[in-house]
Amino acid sequence: MIDAIERLKIRFAVSIGWSADPGRVGEVIRGFQSTEADGVWHLYRGMRSISDPKERAIVFGHCLEEESHADAFVRVYRHYGGRAFSPSHFERKSIYQGDAPAWKTLAFVHVGEVDATRRFRLLRDALPEGPLKECLRTVIDDEEGHVDLTHDMLRRMGATDGGIRRAVAGVRLRRLWEGWLRVGRRVVDTLATALLSVVYYVFGLFLFGAARRKLAAGVVTYDNNSLKRL
Amino acid sequence: MRVLGISYGYHDASACMVVDGKVVAAAAEERFTRQKHDANFPTYAVEYCLKEAGITSSDLDQAVFHEDPHAKFSRVLCSAMAAYPDTRREFVQSMKSWLGRKLWAVNSISARLDISPDRITYLGHHFSHAVQAFMGSGFESAAILVVDAVGDWACSALYHGTWQEGRPQVERLLEVAFPNSLGLVYSAITAYLGFSPNDSEATTMALAAFGKPRFADRMRAVVAGLDDGLYQVDEDYFNFTRFFRGPVTDKFIETFGPARKPTDDLPFNCFEEATAVTADAARLADVAASTQLVLEERVLGLCKKLHSMAPSENLCFAGGVSLNCVSNYRILSESPFKNVYIPPDPGDGGTSVGTALYYAASHGGGAPERHRYSPYLGADFDESADIELIDFIKPERITPYLKPGVTLSGLKWRSRTYPNRAALCAAVADRLMQGQIVGWVQGRSEIGPRALGNRSILIRPDDKALAIRLSKQVKERAALRPYAFSVAERDALATLAIDPAHVRANRWMQYAVPVLESARDKLAAAVHIDGTTRPQVCYPEDNPAYHDLLVAFGERFGLCALLNTSFNASGYPMVTTPVEAMAMFARTEMDVLVLNNTVVSRDVE
Repeated sequence: MIDAIERLKIRFAVSIGWSADPGRVGEVIRGFQSTEADGVWHLYRGMRSISDPKERAIVFGHCLEEESHADAFVRVYRHYGGRAFSPSHFERKSIYQGDAPAWKTLAFVHVGEVDATRRFRLLRDALPEGPLKECLRTVIDDEEGHVDLTHDMLRRMGATDGGIRRAVAGVRLRRLWEGWLRVGRRVVDTLATALLSVVYYVFGLFLFGAARRKLAAGVVTYDNNSLKRL
Repeated sequence: MRVLGISYGYHDASACMVVDGKVVAAAAEERFTRQKHDANFPTYAVEYCLKEAGITSSDLDQAVFHEDPHAKFSRVLCSAMAAYPDTRREFVQSMKSWLGRKLWAVNSISARLDISPDRITYLGHHFSHAVQAFMGSGFESAAILVVDAVGDWACSALYHGTWQEGRPQVERLLEVAFPNSLGLVYSAITAYLGFSPNDSEATTMALAAFGKPRFADRMRAVVAGLDDGLYQVDEDYFNFTRFFRGPVTDKFIETFGPARKPTDDLPFNCFEEATAVTADAARLADVAASTQLVLEERVLGLCKKLHSMAPSENLCFAGGVSLNCVSNYRILSESPFKNVYIPPDPGDGGTSVGTALYYAASHGGGAPERHRYSPYLGADFDESADIELIDFIKPERITPYLKPGVTLSGLKWRSRTYPNRAALCAAVADRLMQGQIVGWVQGRSEIGPRALGNRSILIRPDDKALAIRLSKQVKERAALRPYAFSVAERDALATLAIDPAHVRANRWMQYAVPVLESARDKLAAAVHIDGTTRPQVCYPEDNPAYHDLLVAFGERFGLCALLNTSFNASGYPMVTTPVEAMAMFARTEMDVLVLNNTVVSRDVE
């Protein structure tokens, strides 16, 4: 059911939204690049707490794969972006503290792989032939392998079935909460845009003259030359 | 006294820890988050700095922020309102970002560090740059120049710094206000040329060498020089306040021709004869050359103005424009100042260092010499655990994820740890002589944008074909961007056409210096087409391990010089940890990776 709704949403976005605003494709690709790069970052951090060099080597291989995906999205961006690629900078947040077992980070990555694969598949199906669809095909092939790989690794690294279930549930709950916050932020953002637009047109009438004069002054006269406190 | 410097909010967030007047740690957030120019709160850089000092945030005596959020907000508000009613989108976007987050930066620092706002001090942006320029200089007294894009209101600023009774006094002489910004003009033209603004200004500078400044007069009208050495930007050419409309206006396009699309090829190459250069490509190079020339003229004008207001033989220079090494060399060789100091990280990232030092010295006292610092202040590493995983790396598993065009694959990784530095340097020098590409990672990482021999990629400097391979299969770097070399102090004057008094100023790759004709064959891969390079003159006391390598290579090559470029792939910051270095080694055609005393290679020994 959720898949069907999301499929419809993505088809609608691709056929209507992206045609109306071609820059949107570039933004979506930047988002994919960021997600992949973020995954690499979490894996690098997670690696530090894996003591078995064999398992570390497997995670290292995984990092290379994810990094190559991030690079692939940068290359695809050049076809759609219309300007030089600059990655979006979102704040990196460590999921677990340094002393948490490494498999917990891996559980987080595992859930991310599952969700990303599902979403990439839906998008691939909705897209016309082109560089993005081609790129997604390769990425999906790899990601499907990751889903199995991370699940196997979770077991090898000593996680119990119950532990995996709890960790995955925890990550899902966290992602749900983050999704809820994102929706909330979008609503606030829309309201803020409307409110600030009104403020701009109403107060701008009284302020723009002073603003122009201030800009035309050419030199800075206020105190900008001392240590200050709130 | 323990003082934490913090800068964040626009680009290059960073943190710095000063304990009893000495810098013990400093790092940019990007080195921990792998996001180039990361602007977010420097959580991991702060964590590193506190750990390095062996304290927690509750032990801090003071935190210092590099910007006055209220002053900056007033400028953002004015610039959004000045073009009323055409700037609704700009106003809305700016206000969301400012009212939602940036205006409360000091409170945010207080919350994140869990310290009282009473223990947080802040400075105006250009004042931060001024103290950043002055504090590490070791000068008793100096004129200070700051040229940046824009901070709060100021875009360029002139100061005078002295030490009085063991405390620094930095006095403002003059500030040129927004929108008269040399940095913004250069960034806007960088975007016009199809490169990333706030990132690829060096590419504009590199492109300039391929062109002729035939638009210089038109550019002088755009950025007019005034009689007193100051300048005036004609805003009609730029969309500084209407930034959603693109970097430049129709008037600029009418004057200089259409902008370049980022996907359009530029046929310029530092290493090979250019293929057919179209008229359009030549025009773009000429625009870059004209922009560069006028920038140099205006910066020299500011130097003259500053010297007339603060007649000193010492100049300290900081702000984003001080990363322009061509302009810096003209300051060094043509300005009225005898000595020039540019801090190792003169952009926003370095303000955390300067402000923390300034606060500490203002409250704890000291002598100018005491506050000098080295650029090697970033994170160190222990490679032992990561070396262990080499035995388990399956080369065939890596093959699908190599960078485009990379053909090295299927070779087993090996590692060898050398018992001492001499043996290591000899082995690495042999490999360099054989034409191998060496990733050289040693100890603490550098602050600032330059690799100074601790996070570097090295090759022999005479091999252009190898440099092309480095650009294509390792760095993924535009062919028009030149490389630079490091040279041991003993060979500096055998390679550089430079006043001997200026050799020491070239320790941190900050000046584009002419290379002697007699040395150009030996340095062919590291000299730009205009015959200059941005050298690092390496002194043994600055970086002993790297100096030893240069000398070991010199014994084989006849010149203690190596082509030195930063250890990062396009779009990424320099590596910090061994694993990050190994990832780049794995996916590119780097032949050898050196992690402290361990050499990782792919060959059969």
